Amino acid sequence: MTRLALFLAAAACLTGSRARAADLPALWTDRVKCTVAVEYVTQTELERRPTIAYGTVVDSAGTIILPSASIDLRVSPKQMRDFKVYLPGDPEGSPADYLGRDAFTGWHFVRASPSILGRLVPVTAFVRPGPTREPELAALVWGIGLRNKDEDFTPYILQSHIALIQSLPQRTAIAQQEVSGPGLPVFDGDGYFVGIGASSFGQTFLEFSGSDRGGSPIMLVNLEESSAFLVSGEVLPYIGRVPHNAFGRPLAWLGAYGLEPMDREVAAFLKLQSQSGAVVSEVLEGSPAEKAGLKARDIILGVDGKPLPRFRPDRVVVDYVERLIAERVPGDTMTLSILRGSDRMELRTVLEDEPRMVREADRTYFERIGFTAREFVYGDAIARHARTDALTGVVAHLVKPNSPADLAGLRPDDWIKEIDGDEVQDFASAVEKLSAIEQDSHRTETVFLVSRGSDTAVLRIKLR
Amino acid sequence: MAALPLYFAAGIGPARASMSGGFDRLLDSVVRIDVSELNIEEGARRIDASIGSGVILSQDGLILTNAHVAGPKAVEINVTLSNLERVGARLIGWDHWTDLSLLRINLDDAKRRGLTFKHAEFGDSDKLYVGETVYAVGTPHGLTRTVTRGIISNNNRYFEDTEGVDGYETGNFNTWLQTDAAINPGNSGGPLVTEDGRVVGITSRAYLGANNLGFAIPSSTAKKVVVGLVHDGSITRSYIGIEPKALQDLEGFYDVATNTGMLIESVESDSPAATAGLRAGDVILSIDGKKIDGRFPEQLPPIQNLVASEPVGSPMVLTYKRAAREETVTLVTAKLESRMGEEWVSDTWGIGLRKVSRAYARENQLTDDTGVLVIGVQSGFPAEVAGLARGDIITKINQNPVGSLDVVKAVDAAYAAKPAATLFEVQRERRVSLVVLKP
Repeated sequence: MTRLALFLAAAACLTGSRARAADLPALWTDRVKCTVAVEYVTQTELERRPTIAYGTVVDSAGTIILPSASIDLRVSPKQMRDFKVYLPGDPEGSPADYLGRDAFTGWHFVRASPSILGRLVPVTAFVRPGPTREPELAALVWGIGLRNKDEDFTPYILQSHIALIQSLPQRTAIAQQEVSGPGLPVFDGDGYFVGIGASSFGQTFLEFSGSDRGGSPIMLVNLEESSAFLVSGEVLPYIGRVPHNAFGRPLAWLGAYGLEPMDREVAAFLKLQSQSGAVVSEVLEGSPAEKAGLKARDIILGVDGKPLPRFRPDRVVVDYVERLIAERVPGDTMTLSILRGSDRMELRTVLEDEPRMVREADRTYFERIGFTAREFVYGDAIARHARTDALTGVVAHLVKPNSPADLAGLRPDDWIKEIDGDEVQDFASAVEKLSAIEQDSHRTETVFLVSRGSDTAVLRIKLR
Repeated sequence: MAALPLYFAAGIGPARASMSGGFDRLLDSVVRIDVSELNIEEGARRIDASIGSGVILSQDGLILTNAHVAGPKAVEINVTLSNLERVGARLIGWDHWTDLSLLRINLDDAKRRGLTFKHAEFGDSDKLYVGETVYAVGTPHGLTRTVTRGIISNNNRYFEDTEGVDGYETGNFNTWLQTDAAINPGNSGGPLVTEDGRVVGITSRAYLGANNLGFAIPSSTAKKVVVGLVHDGSITRSYIGIEPKALQDLEGFYDVATNTGMLIESVESDSPAATAGLRAGDVILSIDGKKIDGRFPEQLPPIQNLVASEPVGSPMVLTYKRAAREETVTLVTAKLESRMGEEWVSDTWGIGLRKVSRAYARENQLTDDTGVLVIGVQSGFPAEVAGLARGDIITKINQNPVGSLDVVKAVDAAYAAKPAATLFEVQRERRVSLVVLKP
């Protein structure tokens, strides 16, 4: 009986697949309309560098989400120019606006120009009616990939079956093979939306060569296609989180720095058995965490009365806690259950807006000296073990090769504390002073006092 | 025609048995030194062998060599005398700051075997002139008793040695002699001598791959270090915590007269200079009433030596200029200490450790000198299995702070007797994590 039932099930499955496969070309034509390629240019003092990412249209206003990794977070939004949206197979791009990054999902939001709205279909048009269901193990899934710009971003199909679903901490399906481009949608056999391609996982291969016949392991990452995707339950509830500004402010901030996972062995040693936790490496000066009395080396065991769940691998718990913070807004409370030595306690924190970030810092380029001065912000002080209540000095953000600044030994990230013997109070006064130096054609030199690690250096910059 | 001068040259000068009596004597005082060193690598003990050179300084068997030839890690030292006989030696003391070590021949053994040797005399390195002929004697690439000839290329070379001695710092307490006499690996510790066989330097460095750019520690420095090492096995120096920079053309900017003052490039935190309120950008005009001239880099080592030569804990009066004001402060010198702490290896956990020193903590902006640094882990042993890696700092074991290596040794002994899960608190960069080591 069991054998027969299995046989029947397998037969049903086979016929099911065959029927669906026949529909794919029709499903494909519609669904390609919710995919786009997005190109932008990173413009620094010295170069213009184009980047291409793939995105999915999520609403009828032409809002597009791009995966977190498609934009380098060290780049300031002020340096990102000329956003363009390309439809699959169409060489003509149309201008688009960058809306910002949402801290909770990590997605970047872009909006297409109204002129192409008629040619876009939001992915929400392909959502299965009724409650969101997670796709099942071994289910057939297919998705869309886009070729490169020189091939007009021609769309192509990828197809696979689900091999595994993991909490990382978001529910993430891993297919047997590549199933979509990162940031592009994945569908089931009926054409319903089941998720969005995530950054792909590295796969380890053995590389053999004439000189190394034993083979040495190398890890390869496919940047154009991914076998992993966030399931629709991790996407649909959040597509409305369009940031209010490029930096995604307001940003909820706790100030517990360097969370490190507590593994199973440590939990057992501390008699916490199946409990998961995160060790706090440092509590940042002036942060909500400090105000609530959190201390370095405290172990966070739970948030708002709920114990932290266990993940595989253990380190996922850190992302889990960070997402709990990121989904809130400044002013929200967050109660932490912690272990300090052998004492358990509850700390009530009130989250605040994150201090000005390096990406937000003002910058000015000085051509004659040959460097970009950047405002010294809270994160700079933390990185340099400096006090955060008096943010003085400026940071050398970029040093132009072979410029007077470079030849004098100025290095990126040097903290300029004095210019010509005067202490630099703030960014504005530094810019004023440096501008005056640049404009004074009789000037032959300027002297910086910079701090670098635990040392300082006096740099004599000879002006040409 | 072209061959003619060569023909004549070959015939010029009388054939001599040797250069001078002094030079012969010198040749009989140069030794080859074979050292076996105990090192900790990847969490395990390892014996490494190396070869260097040295020069016998006295009839009671004192040998001067480089600190990077023979130091405290040496477990066995053998010297080969000029008569090719080998005899044991032991370390009397070392001074990594000048890269000099002092050994003593096992005299009992030498006497029993009837071995004889001669000793060399120091010459005055201050009287060397550029272009003067000098000879390097040593064991390049193991070739015992090799003599090479050159000239003094520069008798006052400023040379910032970033290499150090096996992780131990070398200091800028002297300028160096530069010579074009061929110097190769194995020459280290051998003498640089004048034609009369007097030792004017100890050969220590060469640019590999360059054409005859060799460097020697001048005898004026070596003589003082030898006296100190004979006396108490080490050299004690004063430390005030400033890094100087030559003023060189910055006199105008700082508004000081030419040939006056030395610029402070950096002040180490928690140092006597920092406590006294000195800052980078200050210009030191005098030390204990003595006027300072740090216009050129070559002038900095003598000034640093002046500071280092003060007795530890003595008051030092500094006059300095900041902006338009001249100020005077009195600070108290501290003892110059190395960044290298005591090392130890645990065979049970397969881990090599080094105590975090105050200098290391300061350089790495650590809160204090609590903890021990992981310098290596042995694959497959408990430390490596638990995820510890080189560069980690172990701050607590079983929730007790690690103030010294003794704390670790005690836990290790208990673990070796009765293995049980042990909790380590580890700092990596600025991240703190907990790991359990278990059998």
